[in-house]
Amino acid sequence: MFKYTVKRLAQSFITVFIVVTLVFLLMRMLPTDYYFTEEQLMKFTEQQKNDQLLAAGLLDPVPEQLLRFYGQLLRLDFGESRRIQNGVPVVKVIGTKFEISMKMGLTSLGIAVVIGIVMGIIQAQYKNRIPDHLGTAYTIFVNAVPPLVSYSLVLIFGSRVLGLPSIYSSRNPGPSSILPIVCLAMLSIAWWALWTRRYMIDEINKDYIKLARIKGLPTKKIMRKHVLRNAFVPLAQYLPASILTTVGGSLLVERFFSVPGMGPLLTDSIHRYDLNVVQTLVIMYSVLSILGVFLGDVLMIVVDPRITLTNKGGTR
Amino acid sequence: MRKSTLSRVLALTLSVMLVLTACGGNTANNEPSGTNETPGTTETPATETGSEPIKDLVISKVLTRELETFNTLYSQRAEDSENLTNLVDPLLEVDTYGKLVPAIAKEWGTEDGGLNWTFKLRDDVKWVDINGNEKANTTAWDFATGLEWIMNFHKNDSNNTSMPIEMIKGAEEYYEYTKALSPEEGKALTAGEGSKFLEMVGIEIPDDYTVIYHCITEKPYFDTVATYNCLYPMAQAMVDELGGVDGVTAMNNENMWYNGAYTMTSYIQGNEKIFTKNPLYWDKECDLFDTVTIKMVDSNDVAFQLYQSGELDYVILTESNVKTINENPNHEFHDYLVPDVPSKYSYQFHFNFQKNKEDGTPDTNWNTAIANTAFRKAWYYGLDLKEYYKRTNPITPMVCENNFYTMKGLVYNSKGTEYTELVRQQLGLPEQNGENMVRLDKAKFEEYKKQAMDELTALGVTFPVEVDHYISASSQTALDSANVLKQAMSNTLGDDFVKLNIKTYVSSLNKEVITPKLQSIALNGWGADYGDPQNYLGQETYGNDNAYYSGHYSNINFMTEDTEATKDLLAAYREYTRLVEEADAITTDLDARYDAYAKAEAYMLDNVLILPLNYSIGWSLSKVDVTSRMDAMFGIQNEKIKNWRTNKDGYTTEQAEKLEAEYEAGK
Repeated sequence: MFKYTVKRLAQSFITVFIVVTLVFLLMRMLPTDYYFTEEQLMKFTEQQKNDQLLAAGLLDPVPEQLLRFYGQLLRLDFGESRRIQNGVPVVKVIGTKFEISMKMGLTSLGIAVVIGIVMGIIQAQYKNRIPDHLGTAYTIFVNAVPPLVSYSLVLIFGSRVLGLPSIYSSRNPGPSSILPIVCLAMLSIAWWALWTRRYMIDEINKDYIKLARIKGLPTKKIMRKHVLRNAFVPLAQYLPASILTTVGGSLLVERFFSVPGMGPLLTDSIHRYDLNVVQTLVIMYSVLSILGVFLGDVLMIVVDPRITLTNKGGTR
Repeated sequence: MRKSTLSRVLALTLSVMLVLTACGGNTANNEPSGTNETPGTTETPATETGSEPIKDLVISKVLTRELETFNTLYSQRAEDSENLTNLVDPLLEVDTYGKLVPAIAKEWGTEDGGLNWTFKLRDDVKWVDINGNEKANTTAWDFATGLEWIMNFHKNDSNNTSMPIEMIKGAEEYYEYTKALSPEEGKALTAGEGSKFLEMVGIEIPDDYTVIYHCITEKPYFDTVATYNCLYPMAQAMVDELGGVDGVTAMNNENMWYNGAYTMTSYIQGNEKIFTKNPLYWDKECDLFDTVTIKMVDSNDVAFQLYQSGELDYVILTESNVKTINENPNHEFHDYLVPDVPSKYSYQFHFNFQKNKEDGTPDTNWNTAIANTAFRKAWYYGLDLKEYYKRTNPITPMVCENNFYTMKGLVYNSKGTEYTELVRQQLGLPEQNGENMVRLDKAKFEEYKKQAMDELTALGVTFPVEVDHYISASSQTALDSANVLKQAMSNTLGDDFVKLNIKTYVSSLNKEVITPKLQSIALNGWGADYGDPQNYLGQETYGNDNAYYSGHYSNINFMTEDTEATKDLLAAYREYTRLVEEADAITTDLDARYDAYAKAEAYMLDNVLILPLNYSIGWSLSKVDVTSRMDAMFGIQNEKIKNWRTNKDGYTTEQAEKLEAEYEAGK
């Protein structure tokens, strides 16, 4: 396990390094006009533009800029935002948004995992009967309807019928978070239900379950101790990544309900050429994704001790 | 048993949800607690409609209009200024008719036709912190500090330097001087007594409450510049308190100093801002709200939802919302549609005379066609935009009709005649009739179309001429509008004459389209920075590096050779430029100056160097009397939330029309 961890960490470091370098180089390949706002382009003379680029170090040779960037990273200096919040350290810009997205994402994920798994169990238990059909109909509905349409339905129902706030408010975070959380959870519930049902039905059809039934074990015990536990193994792999990526927020939901979270930040910062914010976010998302996969592997071992990550053979 | 398990699961889920969401209450920003107890609260007067006025206003803005900086001197975006204008006051402001009125300067004037301008300041304007606690007096030195900040290369990223460089003595030299210094040396400079800044730049502080600006040449409109960012104040004591230049660059609502009508007591980026009445605000007579909340929303459709659920007091309606409400007499808002006030922008078709194809080679077909006077005149007399106007205003589309380059209401002559009326007279255009575009003339259109096709065919141009029009790839609204325009061109100019190609850019029109010169036409609005036609007409002059449109959109500045195809166009531009320069030179007689500009503008329109497009006047649902808002066609004051009349029940169409009639009568 230790050997595996060290190997994975080394691989992860190289991956992050490559991603960061690529993003840095790609951003520098854009025409320098992208450094300026539309208004600056309108009002600056060519000389002024050149002077500003020079002062920002953007006219230095790219290798020199890259080395400077690595140096800053080693000092954990992620720089300041130029456009999203002018002059404010990137860490601070991200910090406030991170907290909101994480709270909302974890809440919705908690709801989705619990409801989705329960739904999947019920569907598997009542396969091809009314509860299963209802669950399948829900899954198809949330996947088929475009998100903005379903969000609008939630918004209209939630605000007009239930009287809930239509958009997020930092002064009233509890009630105003309900509609975005519902929207975030909707699709996720369907995902967990779909895959729980599928893996459980797979297990139910296996010989060892048939044997257990013949031996007279109660259905409930079979479902809980054998079917659910084994069905959960492949699902467990995705759980850490799902938890970690909640900090990324949801672009659509956060925009729709004006949640000041992480969701739109990466696209906004690319759109506005806020280099430091883009670079920091890419590093953060790379690290989180790699960590998510690693923890997923570890969790699989915990859930199913038969699985090993280093020895060949003997896996499921 | 199964039921109880499910109950436990649900209970657990709800608990998790409540625990996590309840934690969300703490924010980094100050909550507006106690704002209703702010001393100095003035009662907002009852409205003429008899309904109760609003004390805590809630409005919205779309998310793309989010604030990027708290420094008015740094800001060049309307999205920033429309917030900051409520937080910091300049020398002058405007009234509901766009006329200059005193603000921090109680009196001002020039005795030499605009060469030197003296502003006498009030002595009771306080800088306060976020909680309204006094920090210092606003003095003339703050205006010197503000200008030094802008002209210092190392402090303001060269933002807002163009007007001072163009107008104020020594400003350019000081900018160049600071550029030559190291960042540390530059940042250490101030505007104090004996400073290099005062030595070099044409600004004088004879006492704490007098500031004198010395212009390069006579600038009879210089006082209107006092409503623009470049002449805003900044307190040196605030700079010191924040730890110098870097502290000011990163300042936020919690540590900045305010002398405006409100302080921003809460700021959640991408979500909400709360302005709270400044208890020490200098204008004790004005009506302010106790708080103003600005909610950031994804779109105006979401804003409409919020208005319906009573969470907003004002919403601009989209075309579909206006139609839905207007066409259904039983709609709850059918009688509440309020015509909105025009924005300060005058929209035009800007032709590109040096167009490139996407492979970077010149688009000779288009370039030859658009250089032809008859070709452009055919557009002028033939293109009917009524259907296009319905995109902005489906009920009364013709209020959007624009036949001028300069925005209506920018300036008036001494007889009270509005400037574009002078242009109309020069052009010999009839008055607008609210039914059809008055510049259209079918006979002239046919004549010019035939002439253009004959002349251009001889020059090798093939018809229909392809017209590349670029819109944002992510905007359905822009696509719908472009399709309406395409149909309008097809219906009125003819498919045998021109063909509109709708193309898209990803994120930046300027960077992806304008810089590589890919567009045939660009539909763009100009809003004046200061109150003089020169700010409009100067953007189109030929051979002038500071002429924005000539150097960026029309690219006429890059056309230097007189050829068979271009000689008429260049001659028209030269004559137009001569007329503008002639008007620029008139500085003592404003009436004569405006007449001269009107002549130049009429010449430009007659030669169709640009083609007027529209004004943006839509419909809204409003609990605010839109005629009570500041309404200048220049500067950054129009969003200042001061002396706004409100009505808790919302204004009906009838009430709004009555108020508008009163407003017009008061002009």
